[in-house]
Amino acid sequence: MRLPRFEYFAPKTLEASLELLGQKGDGAFVMAGGTDMMVKMSHGRLKPRTIINLKEIPELHYIKFNPQNGLEIGSTALLSEVLNHADIIEHYPALIQAVQTMANIEVRNMATLAGNLCNAAPSADSAPPLMVMDAEVSLVSSRAKRKVKLMDFFLGPGATVKNVDEIMTAITLPAPRPQTGASYMRISARCGVDIAAAGVGVAIRLESEVLAEARIVLGAVAPVPLRAVKAEAALVGRQFDPETVQYAAQMASEEASPISDVRATRDYRKSMVAVLAKRAISEAYERSHARHS
Amino acid sequence: MKEFSIVGKDVPRTDAEAKARGSALYTDDIRLPGTLHGRILRSPIAHGIIKNIDTSKALKLPGVKCVLTAEDTPKVKYGNWRLFPETQDEYPLAVDKVRFIGDEVAAVAAIDRDTAEEALDLIEVEYEELPAVFDVASSIAQGAPVIHEYCPSNISVNRKIKYGDIEKGFAESDYVREDTFKFQAISHAYLEPCSALAQVDLDGRITLWTSTQTPYIVQCLLASTLGMRENDIRIIKPYVGGGFGGKMELRTWEFCAALMAKKTGRPVKFTLDRQEEFLAGRRRHPMTIRSKVGFKKDGTLVSKDLRIQLDGGAYNAMGPTATFLCGNFGAMLYRYPNYRFLGEHIYTNKPPASAMRGFGAPQSLYASEVQMNIAAEELGIDPVDIRLKNAQVSGDKIPDVATISSCGFSESIQAVAEMSGWREKRKSLKPGQGIGIGCYSFISGGVFNWFNTQYPFSAAEVRVFSDGTAHLLTMASDIGQGSDTALKQILAEELGLRMEDIRLTTADTAMTPQGDLGTWGSRVTLMAGNAVIDAARKIKQQLFGAVSARFNLNVIHDIECKNGRVQATARHDYGMSFGDAVAMVQKANRGEPLVARGSYTPRGKGLVTPAFGFGAQIAEIEVDKETGLVKVKNMWTAHDCGTVINPRSVEGQLAGSIQMGLGYALSEQMIMDGGKTLSLDFADYKMPTAMDMPPSEVVHVDTFEPEGPMGAKETGEGLASPTAPAISEAVYHATGYRCKDLPITPEKILNATRDKAE
Repeated sequence: MRLPRFEYFAPKTLEASLELLGQKGDGAFVMAGGTDMMVKMSHGRLKPRTIINLKEIPELHYIKFNPQNGLEIGSTALLSEVLNHADIIEHYPALIQAVQTMANIEVRNMATLAGNLCNAAPSADSAPPLMVMDAEVSLVSSRAKRKVKLMDFFLGPGATVKNVDEIMTAITLPAPRPQTGASYMRISARCGVDIAAAGVGVAIRLESEVLAEARIVLGAVAPVPLRAVKAEAALVGRQFDPETVQYAAQMASEEASPISDVRATRDYRKSMVAVLAKRAISEAYERSHARHS
Repeated sequence: MKEFSIVGKDVPRTDAEAKARGSALYTDDIRLPGTLHGRILRSPIAHGIIKNIDTSKALKLPGVKCVLTAEDTPKVKYGNWRLFPETQDEYPLAVDKVRFIGDEVAAVAAIDRDTAEEALDLIEVEYEELPAVFDVASSIAQGAPVIHEYCPSNISVNRKIKYGDIEKGFAESDYVREDTFKFQAISHAYLEPCSALAQVDLDGRITLWTSTQTPYIVQCLLASTLGMRENDIRIIKPYVGGGFGGKMELRTWEFCAALMAKKTGRPVKFTLDRQEEFLAGRRRHPMTIRSKVGFKKDGTLVSKDLRIQLDGGAYNAMGPTATFLCGNFGAMLYRYPNYRFLGEHIYTNKPPASAMRGFGAPQSLYASEVQMNIAAEELGIDPVDIRLKNAQVSGDKIPDVATISSCGFSESIQAVAEMSGWREKRKSLKPGQGIGIGCYSFISGGVFNWFNTQYPFSAAEVRVFSDGTAHLLTMASDIGQGSDTALKQILAEELGLRMEDIRLTTADTAMTPQGDLGTWGSRVTLMAGNAVIDAARKIKQQLFGAVSARFNLNVIHDIECKNGRVQATARHDYGMSFGDAVAMVQKANRGEPLVARGSYTPRGKGLVTPAFGFGAQIAEIEVDKETGLVKVKNMWTAHDCGTVINPRSVEGQLAGSIQMGLGYALSEQMIMDGGKTLSLDFADYKMPTAMDMPPSEVVHVDTFEPEGPMGAKETGEGLASPTAPAISEAVYHATGYRCKDLPITPEKILNATRDKAE
């Protein structure tokens, strides 16, 4: 397919990028890794007039962690950098679970978390674990800065609350709290490298042995990553036991509203949500135990 | 086993370094000044009449140099079965009618690819849509639309085989069962998409570089479709990134590149993209197989009645050969005293299926092997033992086909059972775990001359020089399977030279000796290998004569070419260097270069193949009972390919076969909506990746094939068959789900196990 003709800029500062984005208006797109955009462009599904590449901006390329403030990932940090970051491996294993199933080594060396979120595919692997862990994204325009909960970020396939003049500069996660745990489980037809047919992110917090808080987000089974509120409610205030988990998993499955497509049928996706939810809840519970102090 | 110095060794592949460095030139890498870039306009409808094509707007687009429709061509039909011209049903560009979504309607050549692409949108085609059929049952139903006028039944080819008395056989059987199997289409998914580049010289002769398995077939069919003389067309095969049967015919882009080069005087290149490959590319035949088999109580096979319907898509392509071979594969591997086969090749309005690694064997042997496993279970016999009981052995006659010469099948079954710990694991695996066996037999090249060539099936020319080197010229086509390396090894072995002493020129129809039917049916090592040996022996005759004369040798002496010398076997001092011997022959012939031609054509070998490869494979798997996902944990293979010319190359073939077999068994399928292919990229076409590959162990069973070069025969293509039945049996062992319609998806496993639980 013919690649559209476009202007290309690679500014060195965030300020310059925002200015350009303002000037160019409609038809201008910012690009981080480009691994989704270039595919869309070569299939004729995206026809930008202007591309502003963020990868030359040093101030966006970082990963910061401290035990008080938590984690902050700049918008051009690579997936491979996230995957190999010692603090993320230690404190946010659910995010690692998601990133290691995303694409392959070559793509992870180019792609970014911010790009995965802004692309807003219903199957985006990074969304469910980040959402259940209370992630926020920083959106900056030449006029204003704001922080948005990732839970409120997605509007539909390819659509988000980010305005056309805004750039996502960072993703932040709160510091890990005691007795919390999170997990991400996904399934696809091909074991090695594949797009998720269904994914489930779970985060829980224990108070002694009671499930005090629960967050469950389902991927690839609705137009947006979907919060499973009934499944969450089925857990809160209860102790962890097989019946509770089974019931919550069943709720999650009922809340899912997947389509049938070339990757999987609606029925299979729904039943897989139950299996994945059960497994993810159990793993999040184990992790919350491990993080007692 | 015979001792060799180069054959049987892990000689590095001749193409390995160039491919690893990225310096290997494939067709699309070749740049000629002034090249125009071509694109093809394809039919958006599955069946219809072309009322009108208006190319005027496209021609006016700046940068467009040539637009072709059928009206600009000689309208000559082609097809690989030249022996039966009525089967030649395809035009390079659609004449009057389109028959599948993706059928080629027009072509554009422009100064760049983008302009050509843009011009396609400006071609206006008016269609009158016709009713279409997408499966064999609808296609042969009363009142079904006729896809080709010449063939009102839509059944383009049928083949019947019959021997013994099947009814008597079933009557004498203690156990008879009948099953129906269905098979999906899958893609060859070769890494290199098809590409062709044509150049015309001032005399109007054409040179075509093309990603092909069959340069000679392309040369002949291009000549006939263009109305040119064969010798005015030169086909060169550069490096090819895989074919698997998908690149063994004349293709539209080869025809269009050549004709457009003639019309414009400029080089013209077409390179397909992956989407086109998936949308319109050849594929493995979907089939419906009904198989009835009868056994004695002790597991002895008595009778088999096999009916196969091939869903051929819109054109015959290599479907007739697949139809022909299915009948043979149905009666290979085991002894079937009473056998009947009816195969029908049926047109549908889908992209044509064609040859693909196994050529009908993966489907036909899947049915045989699954039924063998069912019978074993119901008769209370171990699957290994029932196979040993019925296994073909050397000397067995397959009526009207061949007498099996070398055969290491029983040894393969025993070896693979041993190495996998079969007997222990069949009893002791945990729930959710399973182990299963699948076997194969395959041809080493075909005998039936459907292309009707007047040349030898394979040929080689060997030139030797006084500097101690040799030049091997052959039309044999290495498409990644390693024949360049294997043929060099064979020549080096025969002449006592080193690999680096041999220059190789292959697959150039103007430079290499006629003929060669190409790379398919596992024919190259055996046929081209024999041609190389034939040429080398003629060279040796002359060298031996020179050494004999120089040392006044008694005629009873044996003479050999070894370690770069030509010498009396018993007295190495009666000898000289290879180069000196060549020089002496040249002197004796007053300067004439020392050159010899060799050839091979199978004769007196029936109608199917000169030799059979065999093997057995065992898969160990684990099924996640909640998700239905199958993890293949281990594969063991024991096989008989005669002499192993290059062990590492054979192991590479095995790894590739397992990868394809995994996909066929578990995940790959062309997902269709009517006539439209929906799986158009590797995100939606689920080919296993390196990360899905299980560990694998292999044993080469030691046999010697008298008809093969240095005892070698088929490997790699037969191996495309056992993986799916082995995995299928392992899944049954683990879950109780018996799959009769591939692929074994997680959903099918869950549905079956859920039904069982309820």
